[in-house]
Amino acid sequence: MRVQLTASGLGVRAVAAPPKQRRTFPRLRSRALNTSATTAIIFAAFSSAFFWAIGQSPIRLFAALYDGVLGSGFAFSETLVKAAPILLCSLATALPARVGLISVGGEGQLAIGAIGGTALVLSAGDRLGWLTLPAMLLSAALAGAAYGAVPGLLRAQLRVNETISTLLLNYIAAPCVDYLVYGRWKDPDSLGWPSTIAFPDAARLPTYFDTRIHLGLFLGLFAVLAAWFFATRTRSGLILDLLRSSPELMQRAGVSWARRTVVLLALGGACAGIAGIAEASVIEGRLQSGVGAGAGYSGFLVAFLARGRLLAILPCAWIVASLAAAGDNLQLSAGLPSSIVYVLQGFLFAAALIAQHRSAEAAA
Amino acid sequence: MIEILYGLLIGFVPAMIRSATPLLWALLGETITQRAGIINLGTEGQMLVGAATAFGVAANTNNPWLGLASGALAGSALSIGHAVLCLRYRANQFASGLSVWMIGFGLSAYLGSSFVGQSIDGFAPLSAVLGVSIPLLGDLTPTIVLAWLASALIAVFMDRTRPGLALRATGESPSAARTAGIPVTFVQTSAILAGGLLSGIGGAALSIDYAQTWAEGMSQGRGLVAVGLVIVARWSPLWAVPAALLFGAAEVMSLRMQAAGATVSAHLLHTLPYVVSLVVFM
Repeated sequence: MRVQLTASGLGVRAVAAPPKQRRTFPRLRSRALNTSATTAIIFAAFSSAFFWAIGQSPIRLFAALYDGVLGSGFAFSETLVKAAPILLCSLATALPARVGLISVGGEGQLAIGAIGGTALVLSAGDRLGWLTLPAMLLSAALAGAAYGAVPGLLRAQLRVNETISTLLLNYIAAPCVDYLVYGRWKDPDSLGWPSTIAFPDAARLPTYFDTRIHLGLFLGLFAVLAAWFFATRTRSGLILDLLRSSPELMQRAGVSWARRTVVLLALGGACAGIAGIAEASVIEGRLQSGVGAGAGYSGFLVAFLARGRLLAILPCAWIVASLAAAGDNLQLSAGLPSSIVYVLQGFLFAAALIAQHRSAEAAA
Repeated sequence: MIEILYGLLIGFVPAMIRSATPLLWALLGETITQRAGIINLGTEGQMLVGAATAFGVAANTNNPWLGLASGALAGSALSIGHAVLCLRYRANQFASGLSVWMIGFGLSAYLGSSFVGQSIDGFAPLSAVLGVSIPLLGDLTPTIVLAWLASALIAVFMDRTRPGLALRATGESPSAARTAGIPVTFVQTSAILAGGLLSGIGGAALSIDYAQTWAEGMSQGRGLVAVGLVIVARWSPLWAVPAALLFGAAEVMSLRMQAAGATVSAHLLHTLPYVVSLVVFM
């Protein structure tokens, strides 16, 4: 299927695609692989240089990475546990990117989603029975969506740059969690530790395979597949592509950019919100300060690595999650501070930007 | 009620000025960078690296001036990353800035992990050095006075000198500037490095003068706020002063209201500077 502007210029309709040119697909795929390989090489060079500069052997880093990706069954499952919120949060960036927006709001939307879900758990207790779980997820998604809609409205109505507003909103969301867990939601029996009471069993996401792998991972997989189907296989999704490439033309054809901006940011926020409540419900068992621990920013990185190819989010999330797992590993084995992960993520980001330029230049 | 109001206002102006100064340095740096047509979100990371380096050097040498200088160099060194990514590799400026931010956050946390919890004396206030004090403004420190001087100097540089004209021309239209024989890439690289230098000083002012200690992520979004407030200040180094004071006022207000026993939670008050920044940014 292919989208074409009709002669009147007022509508969009699907017409049958002309016969496929056979060679485009393999060439595209090999270019994507090439970019990934270049990214990996540049990243390896940066991080080796950094490890060498701080007096550590780079081998340690790659051993830890290997462990996280292909090591023991336990390490593998823990990588997937880390991948779950990253997968969901990547959509907070990848969905608005369909109309050319750069949103970094996953971190704040995750926190607000966690608040939304926790509010339901605390007010309903276990009176809702089996309904607690879906109601909690829905409440978290709605809270995240509302928080995601704010930068959307600011952008659509007041032309406020969405990158800066989403980042500022992240700085507003974190103290809101603190306000609740240090204040009105604080568990009186927690001996000064700022957190809510432990979630009742009815509000715990199910875990599988005797590991900590939980429902959030499958929700994330489903959300990415659904986003891919929507963006590449439906008319509305293809309209977004046109809106991104020629916004003025589409506006003239009566397609509202403003409405889609708000909706996509809200949908992304809903995904990040689910990530937030999943982390609180399964991983921590309660809402506490600093929920999510950077998954929002990792999700942003994943969306950027995937470069608009929604299915590529899956391997990219796996890689970024194993980087985070490698960071934990290095903390234990080499005594490096946990902040090393941010340095490595930054290097990966820079490497991807360089590799993407090289492949664009090679294609030209 | 009267007591709360009194508690809010006493010493408000000096506190506001002190809290605004690290941001003012970053704002001035970002003003130069944006005037050349480059947005640098890495400002946050550059401030952090500047703060950590400056604190480490000042604590080990007992010389805050050496700390300030090394913080400036560290900020500038990190900004090379932004210059390379968005000028040489034509990366999206927001993406490139964010990668510099991440690297800067991680590097500063790594560098600073050994001196968490230490504190230093920092600069002596000018009143002690000169023997005079100005009423209302309180104890001014060198970083405060230098920031005001810098803002005036940068205004003169941008409006009254040929390199300043080249900088503005580059920002207005790189292609027209190139036609006029201006080395666009050189101008933009210099602007990014100058921005890195000034945000490094901002970070140093934060750790060795304002807080006199180091904490992970201590700039708390000041670099990000600077990127937004530059636009509010209409890219003017002179308007940067009131813009920074506005943030300072919001921050002092949030601290004062806690101290004065306001019923609003301290945590919610922490959001005030960002809410104010977001509102003026609209």
